[in-house]
Amino acid sequence: MDTAFTYLKIGSGRSSSLATIETSGLTKRFESLVAVDHLDLAIDREIFGLLGPNGSGKTTTVKMLTTLLIPTEGDATICGYSVTKDPLAVREQISYVPQDMAVDPKLTGRENVIFFAKVYGVPRPREVADEALAMLDLAPRADDLVRTYSGGMRRRLELAQALVHDPAVLFLDEPTIGLDVAGRRRIWEHIIALKDRGMTVFVTTHYMDEADHACDRIGIIDHGRVVATDSPAALKASVCRDIVSIRADGPLPGGLPEGVAFLGRTDGEFRFEADRGDEMGPVLSRAFARAGLAVRAVSVRQPTLDDVFLALVGESDDTEAFDDRRFRRMLRRR
Amino acid sequence: MKRMLYYMERDFRRWLRGRVNVLSTLILPAAWLIFVGLALPIRFTDNYLDFIAPGILVLTMLGASLQGGSLLMFDKVLGYLQKFLALPAPRESILFGKILFITLRGLIQATVILAIAILLGANFLNPALIASIYAVLFIFGILLSSVMATIALKVEDHDSYAAINAMVSMPLFFTSSALMPYDQMPGWLAAIARLNPVSYAIDAIRDLQAGVFPATTLLGLLIGAALVLLVSVMVFRRATV
Repeated sequence: MDTAFTYLKIGSGRSSSLATIETSGLTKRFESLVAVDHLDLAIDREIFGLLGPNGSGKTTTVKMLTTLLIPTEGDATICGYSVTKDPLAVREQISYVPQDMAVDPKLTGRENVIFFAKVYGVPRPREVADEALAMLDLAPRADDLVRTYSGGMRRRLELAQALVHDPAVLFLDEPTIGLDVAGRRRIWEHIIALKDRGMTVFVTTHYMDEADHACDRIGIIDHGRVVATDSPAALKASVCRDIVSIRADGPLPGGLPEGVAFLGRTDGEFRFEADRGDEMGPVLSRAFARAGLAVRAVSVRQPTLDDVFLALVGESDDTEAFDDRRFRRMLRRR
Repeated sequence: MKRMLYYMERDFRRWLRGRVNVLSTLILPAAWLIFVGLALPIRFTDNYLDFIAPGILVLTMLGASLQGGSLLMFDKVLGYLQKFLALPAPRESILFGKILFITLRGLIQATVILAIAILLGANFLNPALIASIYAVLFIFGILLSSVMATIALKVEDHDSYAAINAMVSMPLFFTSSALMPYDQMPGWLAAIARLNPVSYAIDAIRDLQAGVFPATTLLGLLIGAALVLLVSVMVFRRATV
């Protein structure tokens, strides 16, 4: 990954006092529906994951930031350029990879990338395309028709296309949807490598485990409002502490360590809540042993982003009757 | 404007890879030329092939242009168009690239039809005449493909586009001066035919055949094409997907 790229200069020296992406009161209304409600975000040289249930406003947000939709209210700046006042300058700075696999199946991988390099007006389109393809490990299959590519390869080809003009910001809408496990891991490895080169990555996803693993910060959006933004670890800590479960027979021993709360007991399993479950597990286990109880199993469960998500958003989606006409209208307007 | 050529190059590569398409679009106009041009018993002229050939050439362009909008629809359904719209390249370069491809493809198809017509005995073997016919077809192609690309940008899916296409294509052809001169038409049809842009293109080619410079029809086509292009550019600049 660290070979010297001569023509493709990802993340080459940028500096600005403003955060790369800043939104202030960004709002989009479709008639009575408020799709995005006064969004205030500042994102800079990190992988920012926007999570939310279906219809929560993720894609609408991305479309406004990529100048494909005009906000009803508020504004956003990308590298200091306003999406409403200076959309052309914004488009110079970004790449947008939509949810659908938008590559041309009738062209080869190389032709697809060269085409984008040319349309972006990159000085040496062929060389840049070669390097982008090499970077995404597509060089061996570059001259095959995209029709024969797997889903993961198509995604990587999209990333290669998106990199040709050295964007400061990469917008990825559900980048791993429909991919197998290996394909997903690979895409994330590439995305993380891009961030390490100084790129800002804005990604929407449904996959909590992936967001937890890859994103530096996460915003959770529900009904167009961002209900929380923080690092995955901080978000998880805000919801609940680690749960330590100990299987043992007998009564609860006295003298529990500091910072541990007893939650309850079911069928010979004691459950405790602690800040650092991984450290508290052995401590508790020793306390049990000192009291003469035979500990049969110790397990620690850390809260996942799923827990955070359910705590903040709930499982309340799909309560309204499905209105087909409204849905279609929304799709059209997105 | 270089970008327009890149968009066009892409469509040409795609077109040449789908061999069936290359052939299929030629069948209909060739069939018209042979089965109607040679076989229809007509009294108002003794060389119906010469009369109908301009109509069939324009029909070829008409078919190519109407079909061309679906290329943009394809990009839209694929999600490709969204990417294009988020590119810094001026958006009209997408439109111009498509129009240019559709029109040039139409001209290539028209060339084949022209060759068939000449083989069948139509009197077209005059370089100046052929060059001016190409010019007329080019303007006509731009006019129509610009309309169809803009329609494709606005309608929802392939089905709606195909419906509009079907609704437009045959009526446009039959209400034009392709099959008979105005004086042979019923009055109501002649009135419609004189307004039909397809007739403009056909009449211009017939005038050229007769050695007359078709100033008014050509001007009409040019003004039409300019207006339509202007509207299309505005629609594309404001497009949100």
